[in-house]
Amino acid sequence: MKRILIVDDAATVRMYHRSILEEAGYEVDEAINGIEALEKALNATYDLYLVDVNMPKLDGYSFVRELRGHAMIPQAPAVMISTEAKTSDQTKAFEAGANLYIIKPTRPDLLVAHVRLLLGDTST
Amino acid sequence: MAFIKKSTDAASTGADRVAERDFAGLIAQLDDADPATRRWAARDLLVFPAATAALVARLKREDDRSVREFILTSLTRLGDEIAVAGLVEWLRSEDAVMRNEAIEAMKALPDEVAPIMGGLLSDPDPDVRIMAVNVLESLRHPHVEDWLIDVIDNDSVINVCGTAVDLLGEVGSPAARASLLRLRERFPAEPYIRFATDLALKRIGEA
Repeated sequence: MKRILIVDDAATVRMYHRSILEEAGYEVDEAINGIEALEKALNATYDLYLVDVNMPKLDGYSFVRELRGHAMIPQAPAVMISTEAKTSDQTKAFEAGANLYIIKPTRPDLLVAHVRLLLGDTST
Repeated sequence: MAFIKKSTDAASTGADRVAERDFAGLIAQLDDADPATRRWAARDLLVFPAATAALVARLKREDDRSVREFILTSLTRLGDEIAVAGLVEWLRSEDAVMRNEAIEAMKALPDEVAPIMGGLLSDPDPDVRIMAVNVLESLRHPHVEDWLIDVIDNDSVINVCGTAVDLLGEVGSPAARASLLRLRERFPAEPYIRFATDLALKRIGEA
């Protein structure tokens, strides 16, 4: 089963995304900020990251940048997800190394479609 | 030979702090080329209420993160109107790192932030309103629930309401029930709002 790490400081948002992704057949883990996410990524392998932008300790842009520059962490697609809809925010996400930028609130069908596409899960 | 860990504090209490620690001397050191000197100047200025304007001005052009943290800490402790205004300006930054630095600093300033919270929660920029709700997360203030209820009753932007609902699920009481139900009716086609309001109602025992 493919594993997804949800990185978001909002408990409700983590639970919402977890419920959508688990229902779609994925194993889900959670981190409350970029620091915890980096620690988890160093100790486990994930197939995809779902990353909020604004978080204490280490924000989403900085987390993805660290992730992309870390030789010890196997690389996987990163979806950045934010309430901020400005083009500059999307540009910053892609410059940091994100593969996709989604604006909150997410709709379950669209989120699952994006995740499946990035994971190459055409049969599920 | 024993391993001796070089401490930043130990190193900085030497040459970095030899210069005059009076107000004028510390203000001048805020522009020093050495980040360690700027850091200690920012820290030592927290006993001078008149330093807030200089600290805010330095914050705007400071590119060293550790110095910014010391400036924000001093502004937090000084906490006058100029300090709070500087923190709010930081909150509006396009830079996620700076925004989060401001949020963390403002969370520690309940009495100083409270008078401006109404203005922040009605700011024309929805991103600023979301940041303001994020500040409320750890703001130990008796009006937090009232502010959140006001947001979900009146804000037209779904993500501002969504952020407020998330927090209401943690700090809300039965007083939030009617507003949570009204919010769900305002956004009937939004799965996240349904999920979040259901969860908040369950947590406050009003499902």
